[in-house]
Amino acid sequence: MDLFLIAARAVHFAATISLAGVFVFECFIAAPVSARAGDRNAVPARLGRHLVRLAVISLALLLVSGAAWLLAIASNMSGQPLAAALLDGAWLIVLTQTRFGEAWLVRVGFAAAIAICVVIGRRRGWAVTARWAALLFALPLLAGIAWAGHGAATPGAAGDLHLAGDILHLLGAGGWLGTLLPFTLLLIEARRDGDAPSLASAGRAARRFSVLAFVSVALLLFGGFVNTWFLAGTVPALIGTGYGRLLLAKITLFLATLVIAAVNLLRLSPRVAAAGRGAGARVLVWMRRNALAEAALGLAVLAIVAALGTLPPGLHAEPGWPFPYRVEFAGLSLAVKVAFALSLAAGGAAAVATVALAAAGRYRTMAACIATGIVAAGVLWLLLRPALEPAYPTSFYAPAEPYSAPSIIAGAAVYTANCALCHGASGKGDGPAAAGLPVHPANLTEAHLLAHTPGDLFWWVGNGKGNGAMPGFAATLTPADRWDVINFVRARAAAVLSHDIDATLSGRAVAQVPDFAFEEGGTQHTLNGLLRNGPVLLILTDEAPPGGRLTALAAVGHTLTEADLTIVALETASAVDEASRPNLTAPLFATAASAIAPILASFRSPGDGGETELLLDRGGFVRARWTAVNGNLPDAARLADFAKTLARLPVAAPSHPGHSE
Amino acid sequence: MVAVMRETILAASAAVLMASASIEPAQAHAFLDHASPAVGSAVPTAPATVAIWYTQDLEPAFSSLTVTNQAGQRVDLGNAQIAPAQPNELQVGLKPLPPGTYTVTWHVVSVDTHPTQGTFTFTVGGG
Repeated sequence: MDLFLIAARAVHFAATISLAGVFVFECFIAAPVSARAGDRNAVPARLGRHLVRLAVISLALLLVSGAAWLLAIASNMSGQPLAAALLDGAWLIVLTQTRFGEAWLVRVGFAAAIAICVVIGRRRGWAVTARWAALLFALPLLAGIAWAGHGAATPGAAGDLHLAGDILHLLGAGGWLGTLLPFTLLLIEARRDGDAPSLASAGRAARRFSVLAFVSVALLLFGGFVNTWFLAGTVPALIGTGYGRLLLAKITLFLATLVIAAVNLLRLSPRVAAAGRGAGARVLVWMRRNALAEAALGLAVLAIVAALGTLPPGLHAEPGWPFPYRVEFAGLSLAVKVAFALSLAAGGAAAVATVALAAAGRYRTMAACIATGIVAAGVLWLLLRPALEPAYPTSFYAPAEPYSAPSIIAGAAVYTANCALCHGASGKGDGPAAAGLPVHPANLTEAHLLAHTPGDLFWWVGNGKGNGAMPGFAATLTPADRWDVINFVRARAAAVLSHDIDATLSGRAVAQVPDFAFEEGGTQHTLNGLLRNGPVLLILTDEAPPGGRLTALAAVGHTLTEADLTIVALETASAVDEASRPNLTAPLFATAASAIAPILASFRSPGDGGETELLLDRGGFVRARWTAVNGNLPDAARLADFAKTLARLPVAAPSHPGHSE
Repeated sequence: MVAVMRETILAASAAVLMASASIEPAQAHAFLDHASPAVGSAVPTAPATVAIWYTQDLEPAFSSLTVTNQAGQRVDLGNAQIAPAQPNELQVGLKPLPPGTYTVTWHVVSVDTHPTQGTFTFTVGGG
C-alpha cells in the first residue's frame, strides 16, 4: 500500500513539474527565440506541436496519479485497505473535510483551466494569451503541492516560513527539471535541420536556458535551505536514521545533476554558436544527452522525495551513531570555532570550484583549487582532533522518558536497588562495595556527568563501562528503567552542581531543574508550562508560612510580570496548612508533592538558611542563585533586568519530550 | 568576467547546499507536545477535561481521544473535538472522576496526512 502511495506521489510530482515546465519554457525560451528566428525557420512550428503533446500527456498523468494519491491518502488516514477506502467513501471525507482535500480540489480546478487554455491556444491569434494564462495557472498548481506537506501543518511563523520554502523549492523544480524535456525537444529539432539559422536559434535557446536554470537552481537551493533550517535537524539524524540517509542519497543525486548541468553550461553552451556547421550539430547531440541524463537523475530525485514524505513514524526513531568518535563543539573556544567555520567554507568553496573548473575544462586552475581543498581539509583535521570524544551507537538517542518528576522518582528506586551498592547512596562513588573494587566507581555528582550525552549514559548503563569494571544492566533493566535512572542521576548532579552558581547571571546552561507538577489555589501548574511564558524565579523554602521576602516580591509583582517573570515558591520541608497561606497575588506558593520534594530540596545547600532562590532560563536551567544568608538578594529592578536578559537567550538544547508512541 | 561570475554563483549555491545538507527535515508527524493533566502526572483534584497539544495542526474528521479507568470503562463524555481557535489542540470532557489511575488513548491525523497514535496515564488524588 505504501508502494502504491509512493508511486502515485512520484508520478504526480513528475507530471506537475513537467506541465509547469512546458509553459515556463514556452513563455521564457521558445517564444522569444522563435520571435527572433522569424518564418525562415521551421523549428518553432514543430517544437510547438511537441510541446502541446507533452502538455496533454502531463495533464493526463497528473489527473490519474492525483486520483490515485487521493485514494492512497484516504486509505492511510482512515486506516482501511485501498478498496475499502474507495467503497466506504473515506476518499469523499478526505476530499470534503480535510486540508489535503481542499488543496486537491483547488489544484484540479487549476488543471481544468490549463486544459481550456491548451484548447483555446490552438485558435489563430490566441496563442500568446493562452500561453501566459496557462503559466498563470500552472505555477499555483505546482506550488499547491506544498499544502499537502509538512510546512502547512506546522503551527505559527515557523510553519509559514517552511511553507514559503516548500513553494520556492517546488517552483525551482518546475523551472529547471520541468524545462529539461522541452529543451531536449528543441535540441532534437534544431539538429534535424542542422542549418545556420537553426543552430543560431539553438545557441540562443541554450543561453536563455542557462539563465533560467540558474534562477531555478537558486530557488531550489534557497527553498531547500529555508525549510530544512526551520526544522533544525541534526547531523546524527542525517547519518543515523533511514529518513536522513534517504535525504543524503537525494542530495548526492542532486549534486551529480548539478555537475552535468555545469558541463552543459560552462563547456558546451558557449560552443554551439561558435562552432561550424558539423561541429555545432555534434555539440547539440552532447547537450541533448546531458539534458536527458539530468532529467533521468531528476526523476530519481523525485522518486526519493515521494518516498521521504511517506516514511512512517518508526523511521522518525532514534539515530544510531555509526562512528566510534563524535565532535564535542561545546568545548571549543570561539577562535577555534571561527577557524573551523572558515576552513570548512574554504574547503567547500574549493570543492565546488574544482568541479566547476573541471566542467569548464580549465584544468590548471582546477589543480590549484584541489591543493587549496587539501590544505583546508588538513586544517580541519588539526582543529577537530582535540574535540573528538568517544561515542557509542546510542550517543545521540533522545531520552525516551521526559526529564520530569515521575521518571526521576521511579529512577531513584531503580538507583537504590541497582547502583547504590558501588556508586553510593549519595552518588559520590562511595558505596559499601566500592572499597573492594579494582577500579573506583565514578563520582556521579561531578561536572563530567552532565558533559556526557544522555545517550552515552544509556549505553554505559545498558552495556557496562571500562572493560567490565562496571557491569551492563541491559538484561535486568528495561529501556524505560534505564532512562528513569539516568534522569535521576542527572537531576542529582544538576542539584549538586547548582550549589556553585552565584548571584551574577551565568552564561552557561549546566544545571537543569526537572519538570514537576504542583497545585496552587485549585489550579494545576507544571514548571515547563510556566517556562513557556518566560523565565521563572524558583524559591525553595522550608518556612511555612513564607517570610517577608515573598511579601516584598508580591508588592512589586506587576514590575516582574511585565518582565514575563513568574515566581514560584515551593515549601519542601513539610506539609503546609492551606488555610495559613498568606494572601499573595504575584508569586505562586505551594507545597511540593512529597515524592519530588527531596529532589527539589537537594538544589538547596546546607548553608542556605531559610530559603534558596534559583533563577531559571526558559529551558529550566539555573542561571543565577542567591540566598538571604549571603545578603545579596536582588531587588525588583535587578530581577526584572535579569529576566529581560534571560528572555532574549535562546533556549539551550532542551531534552526532547518523550514521544508517546 | 561573466564566466567568473557564473563560477562564483555556482560555488556560492553549492556551498549553501552543503550547509543545508547538515540539517534534516523531520517532524513529519503530529507528536504530543504537552498535555493537561501532564503526561504521567498525579493531580490532587479531578480535572473536568483532558487537553492535548500536538506539534502539528490536526484533521478533525480523523482525530479521536478517549479516556478509560483501570477497569477499561470509558470515563470521557465522548465529545472529543479540536479546540475552536487552536487547530493543534485536541480536548475531551470528563465525567466526575473518583481517585484512581486513568489512561488517555489518542489517535490523530495531522493536516499533512500522517496518522499517529499513543497513550499515557495520569492519576487523580492521593496517588
